[in-house]
Amino acid sequence: MAAPRLNPLTLLAAAAAVLVITTAASSWAFSLTVAAGAVALSAANGCARRVLLAGTAILAPFWLSLLVMHGLFYPEGRTVLVHWGPARVTAEGLGFALDMGLRTSAFVLVLMLFSFSIRVPDLVAALATLRLPPQFGYVLASTLMLAPIIAARLGKVRQAQEARGLVVGKGIRSRLGAVRLQMIPLVLGLVHDAGTRAQALDARGFGRPGPRTTYRKVNDSHAQRGFRVVALLLAAVAVVLRIAASYLTGGPA
Amino acid sequence: MSQPSLTLPTPGQQAGRNRRLLELLGAAAIAATFVYLVLTQPADIAGGLGSVSALVALGGFLLGAALLIAGVLPTLPTSTVVLMPVALVLNIVLGQLMGTSGLPFYFDAIGTVLVAVLAGPAAGAATGALSSIVWSFINPTVLPFAAGAALIGFLAGTAARYGLFRRFYLAPVAGFVTGILAGVVSAPVAAFVFGGTSGAGTGAIVSAFRAMGDTLLAAITKQALISDPMDKAIVFAIAATLVYALPRRTTFQFPFVRRFNVLAGKDPAKRDS
Repeated sequence: MAAPRLNPLTLLAAAAAVLVITTAASSWAFSLTVAAGAVALSAANGCARRVLLAGTAILAPFWLSLLVMHGLFYPEGRTVLVHWGPARVTAEGLGFALDMGLRTSAFVLVLMLFSFSIRVPDLVAALATLRLPPQFGYVLASTLMLAPIIAARLGKVRQAQEARGLVVGKGIRSRLGAVRLQMIPLVLGLVHDAGTRAQALDARGFGRPGPRTTYRKVNDSHAQRGFRVVALLLAAVAVVLRIAASYLTGGPA
Repeated sequence: MSQPSLTLPTPGQQAGRNRRLLELLGAAAIAATFVYLVLTQPADIAGGLGSVSALVALGGFLLGAALLIAGVLPTLPTSTVVLMPVALVLNIVLGQLMGTSGLPFYFDAIGTVLVAVLAGPAAGAATGALSSIVWSFINPTVLPFAAGAALIGFLAGTAARYGLFRRFYLAPVAGFVTGILAGVVSAPVAAFVFGGTSGAGTGAIVSAFRAMGDTLLAAITKQALISDPMDKAIVFAIAATLVYALPRRTTFQFPFVRRFNVLAGKDPAKRDS
């Protein structure tokens, strides 16, 4: 488990640089390598199963949609492989679907690896050192921690309404009514709680400007700082090269 | 012999002006990115992957969203900042609840519209952009749509400011118009960054337009014009239902609601006097 000792900002810079370079390279082989690299790194990190499960849930419908969309209908395609009524399977269409699918797979897998290998409190503490508005860290951490609490609360609201005789029928009216009966108490309670939290935070000077301190110490080193600068520079170079190449070959492409 | 003040300083006017500048720069970055993408697209798709367009779409829209967040977030009162995580989770949880109800919509902006109605266009825009960024920890594909989400929040807040939430039947109309604009802004992201849409239903509609010979951007824009206005009209109606279900003393805690008379009915504090 090497990753948790790294600063979250280092991981963020690495993920961002890899994504920018992958997009700039825009070659299916490069995207495939990056995606495979992300899976290998997550395996080394012990989170391969979670990364792959989450990645598949996002990517499977996307790939399906891409293959149907570009595999069957690609008006720009010239090399027709199969003709089938209005649908034409073209080599260009399949190539486009493959390019886009692999690029998005790399995008999703790299970001899933990032979000599974950081700890949110560490990221918030690291962001505080970047002079970002402290509210940003609050919203980020609070959302990721509130999500399971609110989901549990929704379960309680449902149980309470079921105890009062809520039965979800088959018709659309019954379903909509059930959603309304659960949503309104949920939102009411949440907004009320938020008001209480706001008063408590305000009493502690949350809304005021000025530097913030944190109890959590996040590891950082000169090597990591250097790595972050190099990663972002490499990303910038990739973008510049890509734009230069596109203008040399005639017009933006 | 005056002691230095131990209380925290109040922000000066200069800081306020800088924030305003950041907001304007953010909006300008989003607008410029959109114009660039629409102007360069015809040469683009025929040329292949459109790597430069993808970079511009990602960079421009994310930069715009980040500037908006940096400009808006520190100016918001704590009551609004605290509401944002709730809104973000609502976007996700209510989206899932709708998913289990078997209805063919996505409804991922209910929380954003709720904050926009209670706290104004700036807060709505920041909530929308933050929603995409935070959600990307769970599903990275929503990240590039941050600018579209910010636009939804901004337009919802603007509609609330001009009284469109005072009459229940006007809210879906505002949602319909918002859906048209948000769909048009989000279409280049779907086209250039992802090369398509992720849903099976939306994919089928895009395929239909492609079969008629449309460019990818045109096909995705037309699909967005079919799906998004309806979706946002319903989302605005749901948000209006929720806002009116909240007790008056809660809604009138928000200065935006009091100042612009966003909701029908009187301020409970004023009514008694």
